[in-house]
Amino acid sequence: MTLPKGFGSGGGASSSDVNKMIGRRVENMTGIVTLSFIAAWLSTFGGTAVGYYYYPWAYPAQSGHFAFIVLSIIEAIGYIFAVKVNEEGTSKKSNGLIAGVVGVIAVATVLIVTFVNG
Amino acid sequence: MAQMPALIPKEVEIQRLKKIWMIVIAMGSTAASVEVDNFVDGSLHQTSIRDSAFTPAHWWLYSHFVALPLGWGAVSIYDRKVPILRGPNNSMNTGLKMTILGYLATMFTIGVNEMWHFWYVEEIFAVPNHWMFNMGVVVAFMGALAYVVRVYARLVELGAETPGENPYVAEMYKMALEGKLYSRSIP
Repeated sequence: MTLPKGFGSGGGASSSDVNKMIGRRVENMTGIVTLSFIAAWLSTFGGTAVGYYYYPWAYPAQSGHFAFIVLSIIEAIGYIFAVKVNEEGTSKKSNGLIAGVVGVIAVATVLIVTFVNG
Repeated sequence: MAQMPALIPKEVEIQRLKKIWMIVIAMGSTAASVEVDNFVDGSLHQTSIRDSAFTPAHWWLYSHFVALPLGWGAVSIYDRKVPILRGPNNSMNTGLKMTILGYLATMFTIGVNEMWHFWYVEEIFAVPNHWMFNMGVVVAFMGALAYVVRVYARLVELGAETPGENPYVAEMYKMALEGKLYSRSIP
């Protein structure tokens, strides 16, 4: 077993060494993953909105909305996948959080494409 | 690929592989948005072939593309913590090398593209200077796919991921783990 300098004592890794090597565990990253998803979704809205507010002759709102909906779905799949992969094999379950966040995003997406038209 | 001896504790390796995967998933969304840019740009140039003062800024349209080379750069730095992902002679993973070379080719093409358009101003999709953009991105995506498959196969090997329930898919995973799926599997 090869360990970095400062880990272990004369071969073999104790559980505290393993914990030091791991640092923050992926199953404890649900919060940052959720925030990243929301930030990505807001950025997607921002990016498409720039298109139909500043260049309406080139990017009509309908095109921007189509891109926004498709990318929101892709991002939501990525978010669900990320949280499920991180928490598999542990006792942690964030299905309620995922359902809530994706549900709110879905409703907000529909409202945005209905009422924000550049 | 044959079962490789672990150089770091299994639990540590699983956590690190999953962290790499989180970055890859984040970049997946970015890659999708870059594809949308490409369609938008192509669609626009079918209507107005020549760029003018009314053409939307391309730096804005393609700006988030920078997240991909930066993201893969971050992966290549973190990747050094997972011994199994090293390439031949302890170099960078071959898939990552291809990815980075692909994006370097794409960046080089920005200059080539500007020189071409100095002489020929029409934005026709099929001109050779544009081929290099697409070839660079395709090489990058091929390398990225090879790398992602390697990470996933290792997670299967470590028992952190379950192969598909479909018996044919499961058989493919079994063959891949035994090094029989490809003549030379991804290093």
